[in-house]
Amino acid sequence: MLFTGPTIIGILLFNIYPILLSVYTSFTNRNRFRPNPDCEIFLTGLLDPLCWPQFRTSAPVGLGQPYRLQDPIYANYANLIGNLFTPEALGAMAAIALCFVPLIAASFVNRRLNQMLEPPISPRLVWLGALVLGFILATVVNVAQAYDTLMRTGDFVVVVFRTLLFVIARVPFSFLLGLTFALILNSDNLPGRTLFRVLLFVPWAASSLAILMALIWQFFFREQGTINQVLALFGFPGFAWLRDPVSAFLIVVLVDTWFSYPFFMIVILGALQSVPRDVYEAAELDGASWWQQLTRITLPLIRPAVLPATVLTSITAFQMFGTVWAITQGGPISEVGRPGATEFVIVYAYKQIFQTQNYGNATAFAVILFIFLFTATLYSLRLTRITKGAYES
Amino acid sequence: MIRKPTRPVLILQYTILILGVLFAVYPLWFAFLASGRTGDRLYTLNLLGMFIPTEWTFENYRAMIFDRPLLTWLRNSLYVAGVTTVASLVITTSAAFAFSRFKFYGREFALILLLAIQTFPGVLSLVAVAQLLTALGLYGKHEGLILAYTTGTLVFSTWNMKGYFDTIPIELEEAAMIDGCGPIQSFILIALPLARPALAVTALLGFLAGWGDFIFASVLVPAPDSMKLVVPGLFSLANSQSVPWGNFAAGGLLIILPTIIVFLMLQRFLVSGLTVGGVKG
Repeated sequence: MLFTGPTIIGILLFNIYPILLSVYTSFTNRNRFRPNPDCEIFLTGLLDPLCWPQFRTSAPVGLGQPYRLQDPIYANYANLIGNLFTPEALGAMAAIALCFVPLIAASFVNRRLNQMLEPPISPRLVWLGALVLGFILATVVNVAQAYDTLMRTGDFVVVVFRTLLFVIARVPFSFLLGLTFALILNSDNLPGRTLFRVLLFVPWAASSLAILMALIWQFFFREQGTINQVLALFGFPGFAWLRDPVSAFLIVVLVDTWFSYPFFMIVILGALQSVPRDVYEAAELDGASWWQQLTRITLPLIRPAVLPATVLTSITAFQMFGTVWAITQGGPISEVGRPGATEFVIVYAYKQIFQTQNYGNATAFAVILFIFLFTATLYSLRLTRITKGAYES
Repeated sequence: MIRKPTRPVLILQYTILILGVLFAVYPLWFAFLASGRTGDRLYTLNLLGMFIPTEWTFENYRAMIFDRPLLTWLRNSLYVAGVTTVASLVITTSAAFAFSRFKFYGREFALILLLAIQTFPGVLSLVAVAQLLTALGLYGKHEGLILAYTTGTLVFSTWNMKGYFDTIPIELEEAAMIDGCGPIQSFILIALPLARPALAVTALLGFLAGWGDFIFASVLVPAPDSMKLVVPGLFSLANSQSVPWGNFAAGGLLIILPTIIVFLMLQRFLVSGLTVGGVKG
């Protein structure tokens, strides 16, 4: 008990208490106009520091009205995701989901085909067919319109969708870069290997000061920045990179890939070193090509190490803040009052809290995120345990 | 993969590697070039000047060190990060040892709870933390920031250290106990020296928590300039129109380069320490 005491007190005060206060605030209408507590309400008096005895005297009085519980109590949540459960939104979701059905079916079919000795059709053909079918379905159900309907249901969908898109774009990029470098660095006859490894590792070392590095990156893409200067040198007109939603998004993906590929490189390098050499010799004798060796031997063998790393980086990418904040501050904003093109979940929450001071909404958002992240982390832990088991047995 | 690479393969490999290195290092090199240009000349129209230094002046470095509060910021950051490191080491190693060695009631539950807490996004607890620090009279002071950082590193460091302690055979301590060591003695004399790699990683992560953070530092110590930490300080420099960008580049490099060098030196240590301790069940 003596050993754990300080840790437990610290965690209670600075980790659990903020969560409790956030959960409570998410049920109130606390905002810029109602910043102060009404200490007469039991829970408010208990949870809000402004109500605690030693602090009561310095509490600001008379600034706006006190905040109180929402009526109905889940109003903030309804405000955030309530529109998702209208018939139109549900229909739109179903329409979008429908387009992915052929792909899922294809992966099932392929699993069965792979178990057969001589599959009647090649798995690649199945994938191709599924893709075509998916595209046909997409035009039939009018995915673009369904997407529009979903996006108009409120900030929540927009922000979460953009963040997921960011994760989906960024993780494979950094994985592929990391894999490429790791494969090359793993070969034996390569003078200067250590030097290259150290140099390629630099971005990760710089990522502890991500916000400063991101500012340097931002400088390349400013309107008066380096890239436009080079373009001007060759007589091309400049382009407002950070004012265009698509290019701003891509720039954030690029910069975050820069920060994150070394992590994959190191993880994959470590995994590659544990792959036994004689497997390749046997494959060589059987006449396997380089590509076959890669997809049939290397990738499956490094999977146990790489999968947990992928899930973990996906979770961190989901919560990315510093890089976006330094580069775009969540912009560019195309419509007033709507989230900007790079306004990912944490950026959105930050803006809601510190710029619009919409505490009630922001904390409700936080609670939903928390549930999601908690589940994802538990899942990744389970994955780590499973893959660890696979390594040891 | 094991056959001797042919010449075209080798050339291809080096091409990819060299392109990769350019991608990896150019932003820093660019900042280095910009830091050597005179004051308001942010750009060079000289194409060669974008790759090798065609002009050089120490004016920006001089301005950052003597005219701007860079050294004050640096001192503040070192103080905050240093105290955070020591505090988090002392607190978390003992807790991790307890979690690893003593089978007390609720141990499993406490560990899962730790994990659950860790996933709550830090930014979102800022308001509550700020209120708490105000109540304690520590808002706007470095001590408040230290408190916030230390508690912020608790969960991860405890998990990490616990994972490492789990790999140290308990028989060593049992032997010590038979020879007359109490639990505290066996912790300090046996377990701690053996856990040195994990201690280094925990220390480094604790230090980086205070050194590289932006959000907490800028919200919890917003003003005055002389109180700021180095990252928010430089960030505000870069965003103000009146400050030459070369100054920022010089200041940024003075901070980034030592960090990178330390990181590269500890790289092996860091990766193995993280994977050995790691977040395991």
